[in-house]
Amino acid sequence: MKLTINTPEGTRDRLFAECQERRQVQARLTRLFRQRGYLEVSTPDTEYYDLFALSGSAIPQERMVKVWDPSGKICVMRPDSTTPIARVAATKLRTVPLPQRLYYDQTVYRANPAHNGGSREIPQCGVELIGAQGGKADLEIIVTAIDALRSCGAPRFHVELGHAGFFRDLAARLELGEEKLEEMRALIEGKNFAALNSFLAPYAGHPASAALKQLSRLFGGAEVLTRAEQLAGRTEAVDYLRTLYDELSAAGYGQYVRFDLGMVHQIDYYTGVVFRGYVEGAGDAVLSGGRYDNLVEAFGREAQATGFAVDVDAVARTLPESVLPALRCVVHYEPGYLAQALEAVDGRPAGTCELSHCTDLEASKNLARDKKAEAVLVFDKNGERMVLV
Amino acid sequence: MSDRLRIAITKGRLLDKSMELFEKAGLDCGPIRDPGRRLIHSVPNYPLDAVLAKAPDVITYVERGVCDLGIVGRDTILEKGGAFYEVLDLGFGRCRFALAVKEGADFYGTYKTRRVASKYPEVTRAFFETKGMDVDIIKIEGSVELAPILGLTDAIVDIVETGATLKANGLVPIETVADVSARLIVNTASMKLYQSQINDFIARCEAELGGEA
Repeated sequence: MKLTINTPEGTRDRLFAECQERRQVQARLTRLFRQRGYLEVSTPDTEYYDLFALSGSAIPQERMVKVWDPSGKICVMRPDSTTPIARVAATKLRTVPLPQRLYYDQTVYRANPAHNGGSREIPQCGVELIGAQGGKADLEIIVTAIDALRSCGAPRFHVELGHAGFFRDLAARLELGEEKLEEMRALIEGKNFAALNSFLAPYAGHPASAALKQLSRLFGGAEVLTRAEQLAGRTEAVDYLRTLYDELSAAGYGQYVRFDLGMVHQIDYYTGVVFRGYVEGAGDAVLSGGRYDNLVEAFGREAQATGFAVDVDAVARTLPESVLPALRCVVHYEPGYLAQALEAVDGRPAGTCELSHCTDLEASKNLARDKKAEAVLVFDKNGERMVLV
Repeated sequence: MSDRLRIAITKGRLLDKSMELFEKAGLDCGPIRDPGRRLIHSVPNYPLDAVLAKAPDVITYVERGVCDLGIVGRDTILEKGGAFYEVLDLGFGRCRFALAVKEGADFYGTYKTRRVASKYPEVTRAFFETKGMDVDIIKIEGSVELAPILGLTDAIVDIVETGATLKANGLVPIETVADVSARLIVNTASMKLYQSQINDFIARCEAELGGEA
C-alpha cells in the first residue's frame, strides 16, 4: 500500500522559526498570566459532544471536529477552552473559594470550510476569572487583555469594547419576534448599513429605531459613547462602559481602548462587556472575550465569569520573523573525550555548535562544510583545537 | 502596511460601474482604466490602490485581509459566504436570482422530489431549505437553461436580468429567490484599524449614491 505523506486539510507541519515564534508568544502571555495570579489548568483534547451542545456554547455543531469514544458516545476535539474550564470550576474546584483565576495554553480545534486556508488547530492562551462580577473584575480582564497584546510586542493594536446589554435593551424596545431579532442582529454584526436601514424602515418614528439604525456605525473612540447617549438616551450599558473607560484612562490604558457597540456576536452567550483585540497586520481579531455569567451555572455552580483567549499563531504572524542562530562549528571528538565535547557544546549559545557523529576528522570537516559551519572543534589526545574549514 | 487602502474590484461590468462611481466621487481612475501590465493600480489623487479580480477572489482577498475593501455582487456573497462587513449597496449590477421552469410546468404541484440545476448550489440549497423542501440540486457550470430542456431537471435557479435568455429557451421565472446588486465589503480588522480612512471612502461613495441606499 502506498503511504499517504500529506497531512489532512487544515493541519500542517511547523518547522524551526515558526515553532520558535509560537513558543515565544506563548511564553510571554503565560508569564503575564502567572504574574497576575492565574494558575494553569489543562483539559482533555477530546470531550463529550454534549458538554458543548447542552451548555449553550457558542460554537456551531458543524464547526466541531468529531471523534467517537469506544463507548459509542460522540466526542469532539475541544472547540473552545472556556466551556471545559467552566466544567472544572463547577466540579473539581467546587470547594475552592471564588474567585478563581485560571489560565490555559492549549489548542482548540475547529472544522473549517474546505480550501479557505484556515487552520483546524488553533493554539490559544487565555484566562478565565470565575466567580467575580462588577467593574473591578471587568477592568482586571480588560487590562490583562491589553497587557497581553503589549507583552507580545504588537506594534499597533487596540482592544475594542462593546456591551451585550446595549443591543438587548434597544431591541427589547422594538418588541420583535425571535426570527426578526436574529435577522436584525446579523445585519448589525455584518455592518450592513444599507440593509439595516431598509429593515428598520417600517419602524421609523419608533424611539429605538434611530439608535438601532446607527448601531452598526457606533464604533471608534470614546465619542461613540456620547453619540450612543444622544441616540438612545441614558442606558445602563453605556453608563457602565463610560465608568470602565474613565478607570482605564486613569490607569494609562485609554489610548488602547476603543468601542464598538455594534459588536453583537454570540449574544445568547455573553451577558455583559464583550471585547476584541486587533493588531495591525492581522486580517481579523486576534483576541476575543467577554463576560459570560450563565455558563458555569449550567454545570451546577453559580459563578459569574469573564475571560478572553488569544490566537497565538495570529499574533505570531504579525511579529517580525525570528532568525534562527547560525551553526558556527561542529565538534569532533575521539573516543574518551565525549565529556569535553559536550562541555564545549553546552557552553556556547544554543544552535551555534553541535556534535559530529563522524569517526574520522576528514569526514567531520566535510560535514562542517555541508552544514555551512566555519570550523571543526577537535578534542583528542592533543587537547582542544579549532580547525577552520 | 502603508497608509493607502487597497480595494479589490470584480472584473467586468461591475468594474466599469465602479469606475463611474469613483470618478463621480472625484477619484482619478486613469491608471485603473489603462492598466497596462501592472497588477496593482494606484489612484493618484486619493490614497487607494486597486486590484482587479474574479468575484469569488474579491471575497477571499478581503476576508483574508490582503485587501481592505472589495466590490462584489451579492450573488457571489450569497453563494460563497464569509466573514466581512457588507457596508453598502452600490445600486448597480442589479439583477435577481430566480427560480425558472419550462413554460406551463407546475413546479409545486407534485409530491415527487424535484431536481433543480444551478451554478449556485448554495443559494439554491438555502432557498429550498427555508421552504422545508427536499430537492436534488445538480451543479451545472455552463448554460444552466439546457438542463430542463434536456430533461435533466425540473427547474433552474439562475441570475435573471431581462429574462430574454429564459424566454428564448421556453423557460419562465416563477419566483424570485433573492435580489442582487453590487456591494461594498470591508475586512473586519481594517474597518477598526483604519477607521477614519475607510469611513471617508464609504462617505464619498454614499454621497454619490444619494438617497438610493
